[in-house]
Amino acid sequence: MRGVTVIGGGPSGLAAAVGLAEKGYDVAVVEVMGELGGMLTQCIHDGFGTKVFGEALSGPEFSERLVKKARSLGLKVFLNTYVKEVRAGEGFKEVVAVSPGGVQRLQTRAIVYAIGCRERNGFEIRLGGTRPAGVYTAGMVQRLVNLYGVLPGRRIVIMGGGDVGMIVARHLHLEGVESILMVFPEAGFAGLPRNVQQCVLDFGIPFRPRTVVKKVIGRERVEGVVLTRVDEKWNPVEGTEEFHACDTVVLALGLVPYTGELKLGVRMDPATRGPEVNEFFETSVEGVFAVGNLVQVFDYVDDAFETACIAARGVEKYLNGGLKTAPVRLSPGGNVRMLAPQRVEWVDDGDVPVFLRPAVEKANVRVVVRNREGRILGGFFKRYVRPSTLERIDVPRSMLSNLQEVSIDIAED
Amino acid sequence: MFTLDYRVASVLKKYPYNISFRVRDNIVFLQGEVDSHMEWVEIGLSIGRVRGVEGVVNKIRWRGAPGNEAREEWRRRVFEEKRNTVVGEYDVVIIGGGVVGAALARELSKYELKAALLEKSTDIAAGTTKANNGMIHAGVEPSRGTLKRMLNVRGNAMYGKLAEELGFRFNRVGSLWLITPRTLASYRKYLPGPLYNLVLKHVLPWVVKIKGLVNGVRNIRIIRGRRIFELEPFATRDAVAAVYIPSTGVVDPYEVAVALAENAEANGVEIHLETEAVGFIKDGGAVKGVVTNKGVFLCRYVVNSAGLYADEVAALAGSEEYTIHPRKGVLLVFHRDTGVFTRHCLAEIILPQDPYTKGGGINPTVHGNVLWGPTAVEVPDKDDTSVTREEIEHVLSKYSGIVPGFPRDRLIRYFAGVRAATFTEDFVIRPAKWVRNLLHVAGIQSPGLAASPAIAEYAVEKLREMGLGLKPKTGFNPRRRPMPTAAGMSLEELEGKIRMDPAWGRIVCTCEFVSEAEIVEAVRRGARTLDAVKRRTRAGMGECQGGFCTLEIALILSRETGVPLNMLLKEEGRLFNGHVRSEQP
Repeated sequence: MRGVTVIGGGPSGLAAAVGLAEKGYDVAVVEVMGELGGMLTQCIHDGFGTKVFGEALSGPEFSERLVKKARSLGLKVFLNTYVKEVRAGEGFKEVVAVSPGGVQRLQTRAIVYAIGCRERNGFEIRLGGTRPAGVYTAGMVQRLVNLYGVLPGRRIVIMGGGDVGMIVARHLHLEGVESILMVFPEAGFAGLPRNVQQCVLDFGIPFRPRTVVKKVIGRERVEGVVLTRVDEKWNPVEGTEEFHACDTVVLALGLVPYTGELKLGVRMDPATRGPEVNEFFETSVEGVFAVGNLVQVFDYVDDAFETACIAARGVEKYLNGGLKTAPVRLSPGGNVRMLAPQRVEWVDDGDVPVFLRPAVEKANVRVVVRNREGRILGGFFKRYVRPSTLERIDVPRSMLSNLQEVSIDIAED
Repeated sequence: MFTLDYRVASVLKKYPYNISFRVRDNIVFLQGEVDSHMEWVEIGLSIGRVRGVEGVVNKIRWRGAPGNEAREEWRRRVFEEKRNTVVGEYDVVIIGGGVVGAALARELSKYELKAALLEKSTDIAAGTTKANNGMIHAGVEPSRGTLKRMLNVRGNAMYGKLAEELGFRFNRVGSLWLITPRTLASYRKYLPGPLYNLVLKHVLPWVVKIKGLVNGVRNIRIIRGRRIFELEPFATRDAVAAVYIPSTGVVDPYEVAVALAENAEANGVEIHLETEAVGFIKDGGAVKGVVTNKGVFLCRYVVNSAGLYADEVAALAGSEEYTIHPRKGVLLVFHRDTGVFTRHCLAEIILPQDPYTKGGGINPTVHGNVLWGPTAVEVPDKDDTSVTREEIEHVLSKYSGIVPGFPRDRLIRYFAGVRAATFTEDFVIRPAKWVRNLLHVAGIQSPGLAASPAIAEYAVEKLREMGLGLKPKTGFNPRRRPMPTAAGMSLEELEGKIRMDPAWGRIVCTCEFVSEAEIVEAVRRGARTLDAVKRRTRAGMGECQGGFCTLEIALILSRETGVPLNMLLKEEGRLFNGHVRSEQP
């Protein structure tokens, strides 16, 4: 019986696989695309790996390091292989996968899901108008341009002021499209400050905050969009509608865990929109782990990578009969939009890393852990928090002992 | 007795406009000017309802009406260019490749004759046919004396055999019309106290049932109490009674049209895509040839099944007998996993009924998705398939009472289709009044999909009456090999397929489990565009709506058709229309 099956050959899946192989486990990686590396293969901009490798790499460079490592460790890799079913029973797990080589049934002792996230599309934000050619998600555009050398259009409107939107804007600008306009409903860019400077301001790319696309116009191909201003609550301001001619709309509307492909009835967290996990990223099904952007969308690949390393340790504990105690539930409190892990249950000595997403921007705050009665158990000072940056705290395990539930909030220092 | 002229004049008197009219062979031509598009519609409809009127040609102008000059100019130019280039000679030319044109083509392919189906778009079913809820109505709704009534019940009955022969999915799910306290809320004041419930529970169901029986719909049952929720566990507990109509079915409308066209083609009918009629070569009172952007199709008979454009085609041919007033319907698509919430075509009866929404409600599909809608909005533009946020909210609130626990957040897509309604609001299937060899098959709105097999038979009968000789073809093969799908196979079957062709094992659309082999097969069967592939394979119809697979499909399409990536079409527009790196922008 194979030791561990990792589903997904992107950075998180590879990190988990490499981590486990280094511990001496027999690991198989199942990847649906024709090559390893996941979304990194199309991310030719730099900035990856500052935490993991201590240098800013491009996506392909980052993934190549992992792939090389994986190859040197002799991981079994199944490419072009799609996981159709997963069965998990008492002491029994099977992954049924389809590939051009046939239908494979991989018996395995543990499973690590690392299938990442998907892009939100126009339907999810109720984008109005027609549905002609010329509306794409940002990731599709990136792939089209970087891997196949084809530009999606000439006059571009980008919806969304997050990191993905900014990076794709710079990219299309450098590729020489005729015009770009970025619009987003927030008062300012939602992404990392370095991207605002390096992607948008440095190139003088026009942008309009507090503006959304109300509808797309065009029958065969996009002919333009109707823009409208919005107020602080993102409600359209009447009388501000304006036609803007373009032939392309790029949707950079954010990412959500790609849970549609989870083939097991694992418990989900409505806030992260990913599976609920414990401190070693094990889902509600024993021996089935979930890592990376599938759990919650991370801003840095380095953090996603980190979850995979933690999960690798968890898989080891699971396979060696590690013990669990009654779970301590972690729930988001004030100014915390979502967090993971959602429960702590293993017998272990190490601190518990908790990743959390602030709801609003604030300076000089404390991330506070409280018990059910609201008593403060501990706090972590943060110079500055903002929704665009995921925060991490390492909670000492002793702080959680003998509790059933704690909440974590962000309070003024 | 009053003449038709008198009746029309007395209706027009009600409107504060100076509208002139003339009547020729029971067709009313209206001229004048009004303020709004809605008034244009209203006047047309009120004339259409006048007894004895067989068609309304509404030439009234409304303020802000879009002109059609560019299109007309294009037609004139192409006509002059192509009038001397002959493509071929045919017994019958069908203009319009929607489900009706395709059904007609297949019906004609049973006989020894040469026929051609012309479709202006890049695929069959690319107009109204692709954008409806796929319902095969039982036939309870149509009123007495309409063609709709006659052909709906008949068409519905034909679907079982047709599905079996052509290998398309057809589920006779049945419909359940719920009667709730909201049903007669407008009449509450006339029905005091317990009378209201009595009428709801015991009178109204019978009224509906009898209407259905008179129309020829069989096995209608009235059910009350727990029985309703045994049939439909998630239906609103407000339902006091329900009318159950078991013969209602659902299909995938483009699958039906594509199957009909494929079978017609296999039996010898020529299918010409991207072929648009721009004019006619006439000789006396008859059409000699249909001029298109591809050249002239010489013909003995012409069928006008051009859907939304049937009025323009009729005018070009010289027998303008009706005007199409486009009526948009918005539909919401929910994720496949919501199928458990809806087993039947569900509707809540609300009276008085909006005369222009029929069949609106919550419908299962053959794929497990659930559709909500459609709406019915008169629009000035035949191509207006836009959907606004307000329309989405409207549909969500209008139908949420039917299945209160429905996971409305599983909405994955929305779209709109445009119905090709005439002002007489019935199918128009008859020989043209002023052209000897032209058959109109127009005004096909709901329940047109359900009726389409019967429409085809009826239309061919009309052609026979017009003098077309019909000799059955000995080699006619009624069967079509269905599109094989990985999603529909067991693992063992799939394994066998992969052994024959590894492309079966490469899953391109992970949301809907579609393999590369299916995309190749769709291309082999004639799909040339991304949307044509999507309609045949469902690739891109799942949760991510093509975010992951669009590019993969495009690459396969490009490889299989030899069309470069940047020249591929989505439907009619370029999928990617930017420059190619290293080439001059």
